[in-house]
Amino acid sequence: MSIIKRKTVVWSIARKEFFHIIRDPRSLTILFLMPVLQLVMFGYALKMEIQQVNLGVMDYANSPSSRQLTDYFKGSTYFKPFDFDASPDRINDLFKARKAHAVMVIPFNFDRELERDVSIPVQFIIDASDANAATTIRNYISQTLQEYNEAENRLTSLPFEIRNTIYFNPDKKSTYFFVPGIIALLLVMISAMLTSITITREKESGTMEQILVSPIRPHQIILGKVLPYIFLAFSIGMVILLIGIFLFSVPFQGSVLLLLILSTLYIITALSLGLMISTIAQTQQVAMMLALIITLLPTFMLSGFIFPIASMPRILQYITYLIPAKYYLFIARGIILKGSNLLQLLHPTLYLLIMSLVLMVVSIRKFGITLEK
Amino acid sequence: MIHKEFRQIFRDRAMIAIIFLVPVLQLLILSYAITTDVKHIKLSIIDYDKTPFSREIVRAFSHTERFDIVQQNLDLTRIGDHMRAWKTQMALVIPPDFSKDVQRRLHPSLYIAVDGVDGNTAGIALGYAQAILVGFNVELTTSPIPASRKKPFHLVSMIERMWYNLELDSQQYMVPGIVVILLTIIPMMLSAMSLVKEKEIGTLEQLMVTPLRKHQLLLGKIIPFLILSYVEMTIVMTVAILLFNIAMNGSYVLLAFLSFFYLLTTIGLGIFISTFTNTQQQAMFVAWFFMVFGIIMSGFFIPIENMPEFLQKVTYLNPMRYFMTIIREIFQKGSGLRYLWQNSVLMTIFGVLIISMAVGKFRKRVS
Repeated sequence: MSIIKRKTVVWSIARKEFFHIIRDPRSLTILFLMPVLQLVMFGYALKMEIQQVNLGVMDYANSPSSRQLTDYFKGSTYFKPFDFDASPDRINDLFKARKAHAVMVIPFNFDRELERDVSIPVQFIIDASDANAATTIRNYISQTLQEYNEAENRLTSLPFEIRNTIYFNPDKKSTYFFVPGIIALLLVMISAMLTSITITREKESGTMEQILVSPIRPHQIILGKVLPYIFLAFSIGMVILLIGIFLFSVPFQGSVLLLLILSTLYIITALSLGLMISTIAQTQQVAMMLALIITLLPTFMLSGFIFPIASMPRILQYITYLIPAKYYLFIARGIILKGSNLLQLLHPTLYLLIMSLVLMVVSIRKFGITLEK
Repeated sequence: MIHKEFRQIFRDRAMIAIIFLVPVLQLLILSYAITTDVKHIKLSIIDYDKTPFSREIVRAFSHTERFDIVQQNLDLTRIGDHMRAWKTQMALVIPPDFSKDVQRRLHPSLYIAVDGVDGNTAGIALGYAQAILVGFNVELTTSPIPASRKKPFHLVSMIERMWYNLELDSQQYMVPGIVVILLTIIPMMLSAMSLVKEKEIGTLEQLMVTPLRKHQLLLGKIIPFLILSYVEMTIVMTVAILLFNIAMNGSYVLLAFLSFFYLLTTIGLGIFISTFTNTQQQAMFVAWFFMVFGIIMSGFFIPIENMPEFLQKVTYLNPMRYFMTIIREIFQKGSGLRYLWQNSVLMTIFGVLIISMAVGKFRKRVS
């Protein structure tokens, strides 16, 4: 077969598949609408910042300086302190009724310690049933105490000072961090689901036999089938990228062109994943379930979308190397939030490239074997 | 009728495995990943001082698993570039003559630069670093100053007590949540799919012409799902408690009792879905949509308190929210009905409403 003819074969399969997609406007609407809805819902719901921590204050000292400490917590945006004049064994009731997240206990000798000691301990009891919230609350408390200490010791200066600079996201807003993650999650899910049913559909409806008797080569079918989906997934990706960045006013630092190119690479990786599922599964239902199982939870939990990979158990950390979204997150967050260039993102880009090539080759091989049977 | 339903459920083993077993296993295993605890922060050190004191500071950072020192003596101007390439998250800069200036009481400054893209991690990392450095400040002031002089400054420090979960193990919180998700997926999907399947292959009409009463028909559908849900719940809880060391501090009876009212909701939703879908695939899609909405708005991953005001109000429409609170409070705090009655009442109202609406709609469709 000549090169030109080979190209036309791929092209005509792509055209057929393309018309197959746009013929069904209802599915097309669902394909565009569902991710947008989920993006908006996730974008607003995902917040690391606990709005206000209810802090019970047991002030045994009841002195001007102890009240000053309480006032300092009142002035902070993190806390909503309230007086809790009760015996310590009532704290349990307080937590069970979910009226407070934490209790601050100021000892009766607070003033005396203040005069004598360098370090004055104040006890904080935290409801740690939600371990992650407890970590955040602890963090808020130590930040607030730090500010309090700085404010109280202004006259006598410390041996040395500590100055911070926060790069790229000075307000530490979690939404900026999450929007690229949501986009990564939605893109991989949609792309994988889209292609996962393409070949199984032919298997189910029996049109596979027709392809079998035609002189078309496996890689031509695969390429022809993937092309229109790259286009479709790319358009969906554009829509959610635009909405995500503008709706949540994420500051865009880097090169738009680079983001588009690397997003396409990510989409191709996800589509190839779907293709591989498609060659394995026998029915559309199984294919879709498989696509969901492989993409949804692993991407959500293991890509670094919300939970830092470095804190996970070793074994899970190794599994994260298989998650395409992990690399896309480095890319998308790097370009959007930090303005990284291609050289700085070389590693994740190469990983995605290799991953998509391997998946593509495996599915073509696998597909070829099914054809020969 | 009940007997027949059970047989039907168990016939399609492969599908059951995919729908139920795999997500359960995934959730149990992946719940290890759920931690916002911050460890192994990639730290670069830029030490221009190079004295025993500055090395002591560096050593303090290298002796904790919270920091991994990835780079020594980085060029100051390259910090931003290293962050852009994700090679470092934090840089500690010790300026020249730092220890000399400390000794001369010139109050020099130390500089920390942190990548703020992940705001939560950045905040925690800064907290860790400052805690270490403040430690040096305290040490410097306590040791060389003669006892006769008044202490020059006072630092209020935190003594933390973590209740109900000493080790800050997030699984204690997530695994009971998984039980809720299970008691949602299984009854909802099974009842929706089984009714739609009868519709699809036309056996619903056959059942209709038999002398079975309509409520008998529905009961025959509902009871097996109730039993199956309880069995699944027992299995998962046994696995959770024995294998994952989840502490159960509350009453099993209360949990089983309140689960019944939640199951009314989820089975009701399943029947409801079956009335307006025609194929199993459609039913599955709709059920998935309910699931995603329910999970996000239940506080399973994201605490409801973190959400904006209007979304918090939306969560009151989500029955899963109430059961999520109930099950976690029972497991972790051993709370009794005294603390949970509000959630229980609201959940029961939802359960009764949804199942009676679903049954009503089903009857109308049938007749």
